[in-house]
Amino acid sequence: MAITITPPRPAAILDPSYPPEGEGDNDDDYFDPDGDLQMAGRPTKRAKTTSIVTPGETITEDPQWMRGHGTYNPPNNTKILATVAGTLTTTNKLLSIRPLRARYAPEIGDLVIGRITEVQTTRYLVSLSSPLLSPLPLSAINLPGNILRKRTATDSLNIRTYLSENDLVAAEVQTLHADGSAGLHTRSTRYGKLRNGVFLRVSGTQGGVARGRRQVFELGDGVDVYLGVNGFVFVAQRLHGRSASASAGSAVAEVAATTYSSQNSHIPPATRWEIARVAGVIRALIESGVRVDEEMVRRGYEVSLEEDMVGGDKEGVGYLGGEKGRRIVRRVVGG
Amino acid sequence: MPLDTSSYSLALLRLDGRRWNELRRIHAQISTQAAADGSSYLEMGNTKVICTIAGPAEVRRTGGGGSDAEIKVEIDIAGFSGVERKKRTKTDKRVAEMRYTIANAFSSSLLTHLYPRSTIQITLHILSQDGSLLAACLNAATLALIDAGIPMTDYIVACTAGSTSSYSSNDESADPLLDLNSSEEMELPFLTVGTLGAGEKVSVLVMETRAQIGRLEGMLAVGVDGCKQVREILDQVVRRHGKKLVNSIVE
Repeated sequence: MAITITPPRPAAILDPSYPPEGEGDNDDDYFDPDGDLQMAGRPTKRAKTTSIVTPGETITEDPQWMRGHGTYNPPNNTKILATVAGTLTTTNKLLSIRPLRARYAPEIGDLVIGRITEVQTTRYLVSLSSPLLSPLPLSAINLPGNILRKRTATDSLNIRTYLSENDLVAAEVQTLHADGSAGLHTRSTRYGKLRNGVFLRVSGTQGGVARGRRQVFELGDGVDVYLGVNGFVFVAQRLHGRSASASAGSAVAEVAATTYSSQNSHIPPATRWEIARVAGVIRALIESGVRVDEEMVRRGYEVSLEEDMVGGDKEGVGYLGGEKGRRIVRRVVGG
Repeated sequence: MPLDTSSYSLALLRLDGRRWNELRRIHAQISTQAAADGSSYLEMGNTKVICTIAGPAEVRRTGGGGSDAEIKVEIDIAGFSGVERKKRTKTDKRVAEMRYTIANAFSSSLLTHLYPRSTIQITLHILSQDGSLLAACLNAATLALIDAGIPMTDYIVACTAGSTSSYSSNDESADPLLDLNSSEEMELPFLTVGTLGAGEKVSVLVMETRAQIGRLEGMLAVGVDGCKQVREILDQVVRRHGKKLVNSIVE
């Protein structure tokens, strides 16, 4: 069934200063910082400023609106109140509020990076920094040898040899349970245990890691970047075969043999520099509140290379914090 | 209405120079600690409180997880916070009651049913005490919970209200006072009132001293009115922070 999401449109009764349709983004997350998101029945006292709502604020009393995330409808009333502090978004007739900051809420298809917190008999529990731990069943990981092998009792006895507590994994959200926890899987050569790299933690639902077309990509000379939607980021040495020749059967078997190793491989100094550079770029982007996605990281990486080529300044070649970081971000955002 | 300022001229000023219906200076910040899920710093006069929130997160519980989030409150009173250095034990009854009051208040205002099987941990550090301690803790926790993005029906805001003469003096013409400092709290009867939002829904009411029943209504009315003012101040803090955050984000 084809589902079309029309761009958010204003309510029938509107302020004439509302931006006309077709102008600006047709993203379903409509947000216009300078615009005037005014609706029927909404208090007019803050008409011209950035539209921030705070808990307990009446958004509308008009019964035609549906309430979405971050809103509340008191009993025996048509009022819709805000329950979190954030920005208001309207999707057709649905009102929802995007909080300024909140824990990650999983969605199906998200690439996430998690840390194993508990090993049970047939599954792992993974911390994604969401409200609940997410189960990763043994049947949802690629076992060494043959990927299409049936799980046996021996496998569940050996469960700790594949992954154990405090390991980092890249996984995809496969199912969402009724209580909001996520069922994960790593049944792709792109996912699995992470090693040979550095881990970064990024927070915020506005800013932070943005959902993009690709969350795992190669960068520069031998570096893989994993941008977990839950705000966990991993920058690692490129895994040969994992992203490039995933289809070849022999490569899969070869990869699988080393997939669950806990030992870091030998990482040449040049690659270590590259990893540090990419991590520095991501840190600089986060510090300035810029969204982190493939495009931004790539551009930041290129700009940082140029800066080091031209600059030769005394701030150190590898260091990307402070004024240098801000300069890089300004150039990235400027285009 | 005896509480109407225009018809009620009061020459008396309190020890710190305030009138009967004036709050002390409230200064608040949110998102003070980057590593916490939510955090705040609040000053009500010389009472200073830091609050951090951890969660909602899944924590193994002994009794098995319920269908609602559990709220846990931890209060740490610094040794240097009071006038004299006093060692408080973990089992201090007074602290235990504050913890219980705060947990109870927020379990009714937060939409805990959205987070089954998880725990929301509120940690309060008291750096300096000068009266209205419970009220400051409630206000700081509200701000930190907003910063953590945990849905709530409305702000819980609190302040104290007292009466100008002690119980024993039995003065009929005692006036109500708003927002007592510690020297006033020591001498006068007072209560802590917390409301849900700017309305008249009282969600917290704690009174440890004795006062004639006739004075209660006036004290309560002044307290509820003070809560309204506190909510306005806290709301401004949240809005200013939100605006700053939204403007700094480059899409």
